Amino acid sequence: MVNPIYIVAVLLGVAFTSGFFSKKGKNIAGYLSMLALGFVSFVSLQWLHGFLSEQQAAAQIFTTAFKPPFSINLLMGKEEAVFTSLINIMGLIGGLYLFRKLKETGSNAFIALLLLIMGLNVIVMTRDLFNLFVFMEISSIAIAGLIILSQNVKSISSGFKYMLAGGLISGMLLLGTVFLYYFTGTLNIDGMLQQNLNLVKGSSVAVFLVITAIVLELKPFPANGWGVDVYEGADAGISALISSAYATASVYVFMKLIPVASEQFQFLIAAIGIITFVASNLMGLRQSNPNRLLGYSSISQIGLLMAIIGLSSVIGESTNFIVISILVSHYFAKAGLFWISGIIKTNSIRDWSVLRHSKILLVSFGIFIFALVGLPPFPSFFGKWELIMNLSGSHNFIWVTAILVGSFLEAAYMFRWLGYAIKLELPSEIKPVIKLNKIIPVILFAASVITAGYFTGMNHEYGKLINYIPLAFALAFVLIEFLPVFIKNTLAIAGLALYFYLNYQSYTDISRIFAAIFLLGGILTLLAGYAYKGKRLGFFPFALMMFAGLIGLIEAKSTLEFFYAWELMTIGSYFLIIRGKKSITHALSYMLFSIGGAYLIMAGLGIASIGKADLTLSILHQVTEYAPLVFILLAVGFMTKTASIGLHIWLPGAHAEAEADVSPMVSAILLKAGVFGLLILLMAMGEQFIGKVSIPYLLSWVGALTALMGNMMAAFQEDAKKLLAYSSIGALGYAVFGLSLMSHLGWLTAISFSITHFMLKALLFLAIGGVVWRLKTKDMYKMGGLIKRMPFSFFSVLIGIIVLAGVPPLTGFSGKWLFYQAVMEKQWFLQGAVLFFSGIIAFLYCFRLIHAIFLGQLKDEHRNVKEAPFWILVPQYILLAVLLGFSFLPGSMLKPIGNMLLPFLPDGAIHWNGQLATTVYGYWNGKTVMIIIVGIFSVVFGWLWFMNRKARKIKQFNIVYAAERPFRPETTHFAYNFFAPYKKAIGFLVAPGITNFWNRIDEGAHAVSDKFTKLYNGNGQTYLIHIVAFIVVIYLISFGGF
Amino acid sequence: MLKNSLILILILGFAAIMLSLFLSYTPSEDLKGVSKHYAEYGKEEVGAANLVSAVVVTYRGFDTLGEVTILFLTASVIGFFLKVNHSKDDENTAVKKYSEILGTSAKILIPLMVLLGVYVFINGHLTPGGGFQGGAIIASAFVLMFIALPQRKISHKVLSAVESFSGLSYVLIGVLGIILAAGFLDNQILSLGTFGSVLSAGAIPLIYILIGLKVGTELTGIISNLKELQNEQ
Amino acid sequence: MEKIGIEQISLAFGFIILMLGLWGILSRKNIIKIVLSFTLFDTGLNIIIVAIGYLKNKTAPILDSAELQTDTASKIVDPLPQALVLTSIVIGLGVTSLLLVYALKLYKEKKSLFINDYKDLKW
Repeated sequence: MVNPIYIVAVLLGVAFTSGFFSKKGKNIAGYLSMLALGFVSFVSLQWLHGFLSEQQAAAQIFTTAFKPPFSINLLMGKEEAVFTSLINIMGLIGGLYLFRKLKETGSNAFIALLLLIMGLNVIVMTRDLFNLFVFMEISSIAIAGLIILSQNVKSISSGFKYMLAGGLISGMLLLGTVFLYYFTGTLNIDGMLQQNLNLVKGSSVAVFLVITAIVLELKPFPANGWGVDVYEGADAGISALISSAYATASVYVFMKLIPVASEQFQFLIAAIGIITFVASNLMGLRQSNPNRLLGYSSISQIGLLMAIIGLSSVIGESTNFIVISILVSHYFAKAGLFWISGIIKTNSIRDWSVLRHSKILLVSFGIFIFALVGLPPFPSFFGKWELIMNLSGSHNFIWVTAILVGSFLEAAYMFRWLGYAIKLELPSEIKPVIKLNKIIPVILFAASVITAGYFTGMNHEYGKLINYIPLAFALAFVLIEFLPVFIKNTLAIAGLALYFYLNYQSYTDISRIFAAIFLLGGILTLLAGYAYKGKRLGFFPFALMMFAGLIGLIEAKSTLEFFYAWELMTIGSYFLIIRGKKSITHALSYMLFSIGGAYLIMAGLGIASIGKADLTLSILHQVTEYAPLVFILLAVGFMTKTASIGLHIWLPGAHAEAEADVSPMVSAILLKAGVFGLLILLMAMGEQFIGKVSIPYLLSWVGALTALMGNMMAAFQEDAKKLLAYSSIGALGYAVFGLSLMSHLGWLTAISFSITHFMLKALLFLAIGGVVWRLKTKDMYKMGGLIKRMPFSFFSVLIGIIVLAGVPPLTGFSGKWLFYQAVMEKQWFLQGAVLFFSGIIAFLYCFRLIHAIFLGQLKDEHRNVKEAPFWILVPQYILLAVLLGFSFLPGSMLKPIGNMLLPFLPDGAIHWNGQLATTVYGYWNGKTVMIIIVGIFSVVFGWLWFMNRKARKIKQFNIVYAAERPFRPETTHFAYNFFAPYKKAIGFLVAPGITNFWNRIDEGAHAVSDKFTKLYNGNGQTYLIHIVAFIVVIYLISFGGF
Repeated sequence: MLKNSLILILILGFAAIMLSLFLSYTPSEDLKGVSKHYAEYGKEEVGAANLVSAVVVTYRGFDTLGEVTILFLTASVIGFFLKVNHSKDDENTAVKKYSEILGTSAKILIPLMVLLGVYVFINGHLTPGGGFQGGAIIASAFVLMFIALPQRKISHKVLSAVESFSGLSYVLIGVLGIILAAGFLDNQILSLGTFGSVLSAGAIPLIYILIGLKVGTELTGIISNLKELQNEQ
Repeated sequence: MEKIGIEQISLAFGFIILMLGLWGILSRKNIIKIVLSFTLFDTGLNIIIVAIGYLKNKTAPILDSAELQTDTASKIVDPLPQALVLTSIVIGLGVTSLLLVYALKLYKEKKSLFINDYKDLKW
């Protein structure tokens, strides 16, 4: 092992040597500096490797011949190795990024970089308080120097503010240090830790000053205006250094010194940290300058770390794991984001669509955002999970709430930004110049954060159990993106099929049903993908990621695996949804609802883990404390995916705007994940009560109202795909209601209904998707008369809506039949009535699909329209065959499901006799009903055909054009606003109240954000006043007076 | 007005914190902690008559290295911040007239001041003073020169060469400490010599000479940069 | 009541100068005055450091006489704060010079030393 003192010696030596090189030698100075940074990276990584593999013991490094406390000593332990490695690598790679800029400025600029890194190394390793002060000054002067690499009024004024604030803060630190020396007789941190410094007022004030100064270095809200300004004012490469290297070192200093403070004071700091986290993220919401936005995000992340470290007495031994995993994500992501910002050089995040000029930058951008938000498979995912598990497992619900709220806000502005980059129009005037030395760091860090995620997972007790093979399969498609759709699609289908074949036997009964929906359904919808030409960039990795998540839900044994799969599914589906045309807002709201829901699930699983030694999913069976709360959190979390009323606003747009084969994927398949979640929740926890009110009873109302609202909205749509989307909301309401019945019949209904809905919604979305594919419009009033041009699609839709409407003879009716049996058995007649009413409305909108699209007159421009593409029809007809089969033989589906449910709910099972089902309320024979209905239908149809064979045809628009030219042509179409009378009568029920509610929350958050940011008026002196006020207020709180 | 009264309240609040620190202070009678050790063993361990120098250069030598670094860093940053174009050193700068008396006395004083500075850092381990103090005195000699004799120039190349040389040597002496003696910056790479003589206290005089040179050249460099910026305007 | 010694007086002065500096930092609008207030603040701090190391009736920690070389610990004041104050002064010097150069540059940008004029970055 190389003695870590050589880190200092080499960096200093090279810095001093640089003075020999004048103008001509600055190249040599540059290369020497990079060599030195490479060397020190090697030294710290070598130590890190030693600690990770060979159980190397922590090493003390003494300066001079004397032992501490008489002289200054450094410590190289595992944590120090991690932190110095991070800092040195940032120095090296950040130096590479800045190389041209530094070279322009001359060897003095390299000196500043080298000394910054040297200072940071020492402040991590030193065990002497005064020495810490000296090297913190070195680092902050180096930063003050680097800020003005590009000299303009912004960078100079921000640097000046930085120096003013730094001067005040270091004064506090020095004052505290000197008084600590006075009280303890030593400057050695370990020596101070051995004494109780909080007994005497004086020494506790000294501790207060030292710790507060360190906290101020971490930029706590609201004494951090100077910090935000620096992030915006400095060159992006420098901001990256500040955010990743400087903040990393400061966090470690804080970790090192915090044990000096009393436990009470530590909690106070944790509170400051969490306030910083939430407030900064709130302020991030209204930012449009990328660097300033990143600045707020940096400050918020450090605030979170401050809170975690302050809470270490509660969190216990996993504190270091949490801190390092969150810090590492932040480190890579923030550096990468600042670097990208420096490459594209725009002042508005709306211009980030220029990233699309460079695929690799766009991909890296996405990776960094996901890493920052804490989604799998990145390190912060495991860190945040562990954090929430620990805090909620120890009853710290307020902290959990604050952390989740803050994280949610951060996700909101980060994903808005990602959406801009992926979807907004390309601004023509900006084209980024991409230099190799700037893009390599970005790629390196993007790759590193993925690797780091893998290692973090492997170091986590449950993380290492996760099955990464499906995800790896999905990501492998990134490597073969250059191949045509045909090959990739075949590979994807083969993959899904093989996976299902290999594993289906290992799934238990009900899981197997959902596995079939997820994987076989996936194969069916992928079949339609053969209709696409070209490469279809970015489709397969994410589609497969979604399926990987879905199958992960089924295979999950532990809570972490389940949550991981849930998040993976969300990521994949987000990218599928954002592929749609006008999907920018819908994808964002989908993501936000999903993340919100996921956080509720995480909190629920955390609370469920109270007092449990292991974290397998079976803990849900034995929740003893807060069981109703756990149930509600999980149920609401799952219902964001089933799009239950109130949580549904993301769905219509997202599903309607998606591509032809994506709509069925997300509508028919993805929504079932929520049903699956609810099902396992109900199976594990049974009926829970709030006071005396049964939660499933509440759930039944949610289900019923969702069904009513969804179907009513569907009836009033002009957009065919939106109609189907709302119909999905309604249908999922039925499923939720069925589950809430908590009876054999209810669940049988819900599960069989889920299967049926999967098939018919896939069928309808594919059929309508095929129509839209050809017509290039989704508005029904622009269609009509397509029955002759697209007979196959017509037949699909016809069968689909018969099933959907629940009229005999098809399987929809058997569903309904079962349904009313279940309602009668439970005697929830009110909800039953609501559902019955929504069933009628379902009939109304089903009718429109046939009537407006396929019947009536063919439009002129559609005279030559072709039938939907072959590959979109193939899955439809497979589905049709299965649907008809189930309709003919309902018992073959219902009986096995009933048997699976027997262990859970043995009462009220159906008796089967061949295809004849009998319950206490009646009987049903699918085969007989089918034969009778088909018989009657043929007779009536034959008679009608016979009567109308001489009917005369008239032109479609012949009345309207006789009088005046219509202002809006669509209003003259017979299908436009078809249910206007109903809308007049009951339309108020579907006024966009819920959307307005969420919009108002959004506006409220922005307004508060606006108020907060006004604190930062840009005046350096005001920032100093904030700092002094911060010190005084914190003093008052912690000492309860002067 | 509101803002001023707010500031006043804050100042009072802060003063109250300071007061509580002040009140917690009771004059101590005896040395305690580490300084007791320095007083008792400093003579044998380091061999410097000036115990402050013993602490500065040896016991807390690592701090001093940092201190030197800060000055060096500040000088470097100011160097590129001001972006003074040294190549034009000899031309273009208008020479202002100076007072005859000032000029003449400066010519006498400057060598004496430099000599005093050298004396102060060479004897840093014996008498009050040391590298920083000596360096500052040398720099003030140059300040006098800039004011009184503006036509005299200093070569920045020489300045930064001396600066780099002394800095690098300081680091090398530190590393020699690891190789030849007990640790980084150990002064016992040279013998401790006779207590109280100029050539004693191991490497302390050597280090002080280097610091003196370094501080002197750095401060001179900063001031010369500022001066040249003024001339350009 | 005990007699108030030089150490308490200098400590008090240190605190007073420090507070004066702080007052200047927070209330002066001229950038140069703010920087000067910072040096005042630093000076106060340095006086506090030295005052803390003072011991009643003891002499400077320079062992230039044979008498001081025996039983040194009971005869000298604390050498450590004096070493610290040296570092603190040098750091103060560095920071002040950089602050002044910043002020110079700011003045070049806008021809103003009024701190309220530099609000380009905010919110």
